[in-house]
Amino acid sequence: MLAFDSVTKTYESFQLGPLDLQVDDEILAILGPSGCGKTTLLAIAGGIVQQDAGTVSLHGDSLDSSAPEDRGTVVVFQDGALFPHMTVRENIGYAAGPETDVEGLAETFEVTALLGQRASSLSGGERQRVAVARALAADPSALLLDEPLTNLDAPIRHRLREDLRAKLAPLDIPVLYVTHDQSAATAIGDRLAVLNDGAIQQVGTPATVFEEPATPFVARFTGHDNVFEGSIQPGTPHPHVQWGPYKLETDCAGLEPPTDIWFSIRPEYVRVVPEAEREATPNVLTGSITNRLFEGDTYRLRIAVEDLDERLDLTVLRPAYDHHGLDERDRISVSVPPTAIYLDEVE
Amino acid sequence: MTSTSRRTRWSGDWLAVALLLGGVLLLYYAVPILAIFLAQSPAAVLSELAAPSVRSAATTSVLSASITTVIAVCFGVPLAYWLARTEVRWRPLVDAAVVLPLVLPPVVGGVVLLTVVGPNTVLGSVASAMGYELTGSLIGIVLAQTFVASPFVIVTARAAFAGVDQDLEHASRSLGKRRLTTVRRVTLPMAWPGIVAGVTLTFARAMGEFGATLMLAYHPRTMPVEIWVTFLEAGLGNAYPVAVVLVCLSVLALLVLNVLGSDPWSE
Repeated sequence: MLAFDSVTKTYESFQLGPLDLQVDDEILAILGPSGCGKTTLLAIAGGIVQQDAGTVSLHGDSLDSSAPEDRGTVVVFQDGALFPHMTVRENIGYAAGPETDVEGLAETFEVTALLGQRASSLSGGERQRVAVARALAADPSALLLDEPLTNLDAPIRHRLREDLRAKLAPLDIPVLYVTHDQSAATAIGDRLAVLNDGAIQQVGTPATVFEEPATPFVARFTGHDNVFEGSIQPGTPHPHVQWGPYKLETDCAGLEPPTDIWFSIRPEYVRVVPEAEREATPNVLTGSITNRLFEGDTYRLRIAVEDLDERLDLTVLRPAYDHHGLDERDRISVSVPPTAIYLDEVE
Repeated sequence: MTSTSRRTRWSGDWLAVALLLGGVLLLYYAVPILAIFLAQSPAAVLSELAAPSVRSAATTSVLSASITTVIAVCFGVPLAYWLARTEVRWRPLVDAAVVLPLVLPPVVGGVVLLTVVGPNTVLGSVASAMGYELTGSLIGIVLAQTFVASPFVIVTARAAFAGVDQDLEHASRSLGKRRLTTVRRVTLPMAWPGIVAGVTLTFARAMGEFGATLMLAYHPRTMPVEIWVTFLEAGLGNAYPVAVVLVCLSVLALLVLNVLGSDPWSE
């Protein structure tokens, strides 16, 4: 287990921690925006940056006084950090022991044909494959990956994402995977830790983090673009959410009214309601379309909700968009299914 | 005509202007050097080479410049690496100390050195008592050349080290390699062309060192001192062949070092 115990690092205008985190023999994806401290956390684990306070340990042994080369925590950098003056074979074999099967690793990561090439001649995707192969050749006790897919084109990124998951999952060592890309985090991580402004906001399985975000920040960062504040009011069978003049039905129980809450609604759960169905549909809101973004299979619409100074985002499939004959500045009705409202108490 | 093509045309024009301006300087460098070669018959140069004083001066220059270069590399390259990697606040002071000999007139450098290693100084006396003369000797020449020429390798190698992405060093250490192994296998090979450029400059500067050398060691004569003495004693015409020999030695050194310093991993 790789463990961070009250780890703190302070820079002039930023502080990481105090932070506690345990990474078992699993892939833990650290998800957070640029500048949240996730790379600093990884650098501390790798011994590249020294923490101001707290302890980092691996399988119970403190790493704090160990040099990077003695830790067994191998870092894979964003651009691969391959040695450009060496061939791919020399890179993979750089830290390999006498019994390491360099050829086998090259085959696993589909770089056999590149073994004789200079590392400087590789494409981005090839570089990352070689970088991970090189890291595994060093027989790491823990693997630390710093946004390895960030600079790749989408098709290569998606392919490599699958490959990384398939090759890292069976390793049975702590793997820390730092990224700002929520899709990469959920695809690769066994668990997610969401980091913001130097503090961990939530740790959990990808499904838990996405379905039950612990804070408004996590909600927004994981795609709950509609995050608002309201209050819980008595209702039947469940309490209502009072949102300005609107009363929204929910299926949430457990919060005693009246309680101030924040709630979120994923754009893909909001649906356009034809005029004829308004009366029979719960949680109908009316507003006019202020923005429209064509996203290929879908349109992303933003509506200014009437009687409320709020904007609500929704995604509409193209056929539905055409069927309803929608256009910018149209006045439309939308509904939010009670099951699509996730809410929590304001702290 | 599109704005892109306009930009392209202007870019071409400015390049031509830049070459024209630079070309004036290039001519200024090349013409005198060509002239000195044309002013001499090869026979005159060869006969000068046969003169014992010239051969002795050439040997002293090559020997002292080589020793100076080795010293500059042994002490200067580690300092260059430290300067490229350290984050201590007083680094600018070290930077200034390194650059100081470059901006100091060489003769002043010689005076400065004499206050430390001159015959009447503590250091000079102790060394003399041990049988080592710090002035008027090969040691004196090396001391003068090292003072004036070694900053070149430090400044150039420092830039070369700074150009090596630190993540490569972090990656190497993270893969289990010690700092020294990392420097040997990753940093040095990548900084190699820059370091060799610095070595070249240091060697060339040491070969041509005159001002500080004159103050510390008039004897044994180096090539620049020999040229100076010949010029004073026998006139400019007699100094030409010796100068040609020095130019040839310098160019040869540049060629050798540049071949060594060619990009070791270019395809």
